[in-house]
Amino acid sequence: MRISTRGRYSLEALLYLCLLPQGESASTRAIAAGTGISDGYLEQLFIPLKRDGIVRGIRGPQGGYLPGRTPERITVGEVLRSVEGSLEPVACLSDETCPAEATCPTRSLWSRIAETIAECVDSISLDDLATAYRLQGSGEAQI
Amino acid sequence: MRISTRGRYGVRFLVDLAQSAGETHVPLAAIAERQRISARYLEHVAVILRRMGYVRSIKGASGGYALAREPADIPIGDVLRALEGDILVVDDPLPGETEGPLARCVRSVVYDRLNRRIADIVDRLTLADIVGGEGTDRPPMYYI
Repeated sequence: MRISTRGRYSLEALLYLCLLPQGESASTRAIAAGTGISDGYLEQLFIPLKRDGIVRGIRGPQGGYLPGRTPERITVGEVLRSVEGSLEPVACLSDETCPAEATCPTRSLWSRIAETIAECVDSISLDDLATAYRLQGSGEAQI
Repeated sequence: MRISTRGRYGVRFLVDLAQSAGETHVPLAAIAERQRISARYLEHVAVILRRMGYVRSIKGASGGYALAREPADIPIGDVLRALEGDILVVDDPLPGETEGPLARCVRSVVYDRLNRRIADIVDRLTLADIVGGEGTDRPPMYYI
């Protein structure tokens, strides 16, 4: 039950963007240098993320990418769904054609797990991540 | 982020056995037919569950499978871990692998928390919760 590389890299790239001074953008080359993710892969990930308004691109020689909204208003869940699709642990939860839907005893198990995952990722914003990052940095500086 | 076919079929296999508790041993073919799962695939799942001590089998004409423990003594978290290998949302870092500070932050804020929440849920549930307790009319698996 894994989050794919797409999801993991997207969160790292977005965390990088959220740590930039407000209003500043970064080129995929700069993000690649800061995260270790190839710029080609970043371009691929930014297609769905742009479509969903999670990142915004600025054209031109000084162009680049920045968060599409304030980090408080972007959740980890939105980012993951944008690049991974559904986060449900089994396909039948979103497929309403299963004949056993009403009586299937295992469905309630899968939907409990799905709710747990959704509640968790929807309660974490990119601002929470950025705040944790700054604390992590200061903690390390103290050591 | 999916539970594999093996995990899903394994849980259905156990639920079927729990619901057939009146019978001594249920032939694998009967379960395969009821659950519409290939018997060959189910055999593979049954082997894992037998090795873990959740089911026992008897060979022969009246043979088949039965639960080896009470449903209340079969924790769903352990069943899923046996079938899936683990129920983690990302792999642990490889020994000697160093993660960058961004990756480390996402791991501790998102993945570690998700892994804990998922484990909390599945470790609190047993097969009995899924099948539904006897004589209770509450819907299965609601708790606070």
